[in-house]
Amino acid sequence: MIAFEHVGKRYGGRFEALADINFRVERGEMLFLTGHSGAGKSSLLRLIMRLERPSRGRVLVAGHDLDQLHISQVPYYRRQIGVVFQDHQLLFDRDIFANVALPLTIQGVEPGDAARRVRAALDKVGLLHRERALPIELSTGEQQRVGIARAVVNKPALLLADEPTGNLDPQLSADIMRLFEDFNRIGTTVLVASHDLALIARLRHRVLKLRDGRLIGDEEAA
Amino acid sequence: MSERRPSAERRVEGRRGAQKPQRRAGGGGRAWMRHHRAMMGDSALRLIRRPISTLLTMLAIAIALILPAGLWLVLDSARLLDAELDESATLTVYFQADIDESEAMDLAAEVGGQPGVAGARLVTAAEGLAAFQQTLGVDDALSQLDANPLPASVVVTPDDTAPAAVQSLSQRLQTIEGVDEVRLDLAWLDRLQQLADLGQRVALALALLFGLGVLLVVGNTIRLAVESRRQEIEVVTLIGATHAFVRRPFLYSGAWYGLGGGVLALVILMLGGNWLASPVAALAESYGAHFALPSLGGRNSVFLLLFSTLLGWLGAWLAVGRHLSDIKPR
Repeated sequence: MIAFEHVGKRYGGRFEALADINFRVERGEMLFLTGHSGAGKSSLLRLIMRLERPSRGRVLVAGHDLDQLHISQVPYYRRQIGVVFQDHQLLFDRDIFANVALPLTIQGVEPGDAARRVRAALDKVGLLHRERALPIELSTGEQQRVGIARAVVNKPALLLADEPTGNLDPQLSADIMRLFEDFNRIGTTVLVASHDLALIARLRHRVLKLRDGRLIGDEEAA
Repeated sequence: MSERRPSAERRVEGRRGAQKPQRRAGGGGRAWMRHHRAMMGDSALRLIRRPISTLLTMLAIAIALILPAGLWLVLDSARLLDAELDESATLTVYFQADIDESEAMDLAAEVGGQPGVAGARLVTAAEGLAAFQQTLGVDDALSQLDANPLPASVVVTPDDTAPAAVQSLSQRLQTIEGVDEVRLDLAWLDRLQQLADLGQRVALALALLFGLGVLLVVGNTIRLAVESRRQEIEVVTLIGATHAFVRRPFLYSGAWYGLGGGVLALVILMLGGNWLASPVAALAESYGAHFALPSLGGRNSVFLLLFSTLLGWLGAWLAVGRHLSDIKPR
């Protein structure tokens, strides 16, 4: 599903965010990406989302060599990836339903079909009864769950999460992780960047460890 | 959620090898239309929700449109006037005062027989006096005169109204015995022609300048709109929106601004025309002329609206294009 081959990323010529990263992720895997802040977790995710291009090496995702991807194809590529952000990035001028429907709107899914899929996604994260609420009326944990519903509403093959539990207490964090495991169970490849080491240790999945832009550990699920 | 794989997604996955941007056939076209309709409505709603600033922007556009359009109207009416004058580019041949009525008729026939003369109409001394009295309303003063001081004359319509031809005809008529004077006002016609040409150029230059003004007004407004929706643009870009998708609502906003500005310009031109109509009519009346301010008319109104809408759209396109490249998701 994902392959990094000798990937390096420099910013502004000097600062080396990532150096010689090599790893493969199989379809249907679930894994964590850890490291101190500034270790390169976000850079790595940005490379997968094709927000940036590597300075050297190749990134392959779902069969695409991202460097070969023409700029006009990037939007279509991104539609195959669901992304959960630490600050969930909801749009506060529209209700929960519209927020979750956004990826479907972008893809031009027929409204009746879209409504069914939005409700299914909201039901999955337990917020079906709040579909007409505005994001501001929801708690932080609920907002994050809306963000997850939006990420999975078009059933992406790959789900990325960047510090999805960064602002949540341990109980809510565990709930969120359980949601990710549910999606993984139905075949979605899930990659979660997190520095919540205690939580990660309990979940027993493969863990990629980054330090100063280098991959220093790739521990298989215990 | 796993029971059903919608066809749209299957197509995305199936496409993996051949990475062609899918212009989805059939349902895709409908979705595209649907989004256009939605954005048309959505952008209109956004403008309506902020009526004051929307109106101000549209007013700025309207004013930028009114100046060249108004000048064009004035020129157009001058052109109408010009055409009338062109037709009446006649020569007046005055006979010597001692020519009596029957001699005048012979002379008129001779003038009418000259080459280059399309028509010749005799105005006898008596007719001339009557016309003079009628236009000036000086009955009393003229009735004091013992004899008619006016000579008979012939109004000649030339074949060829080109200034040079009229000039040479005038010289030829001057040589006929019994002719006192040949009058023509070519210099004046020339100047009017030049003035109209100059006016047209000024109008064109103004239209270009103010067209640019409309672009800037719309561009700046859209720039602010883009700025205020920056987060939304970042998010939809992250989840796979194409540039066209992001651009669409702003293009519609620009088009609405342009259309609104055009409508306002038409309304203001119409009100202004009405306001000026009665004094203009009174002024024309005092010269014994019938002259009405020209209005834009249906075709030109539609053209103005199309033009302003297009300008608004273009202004938005330029602004969004410039700022989309600035906005990169974090």
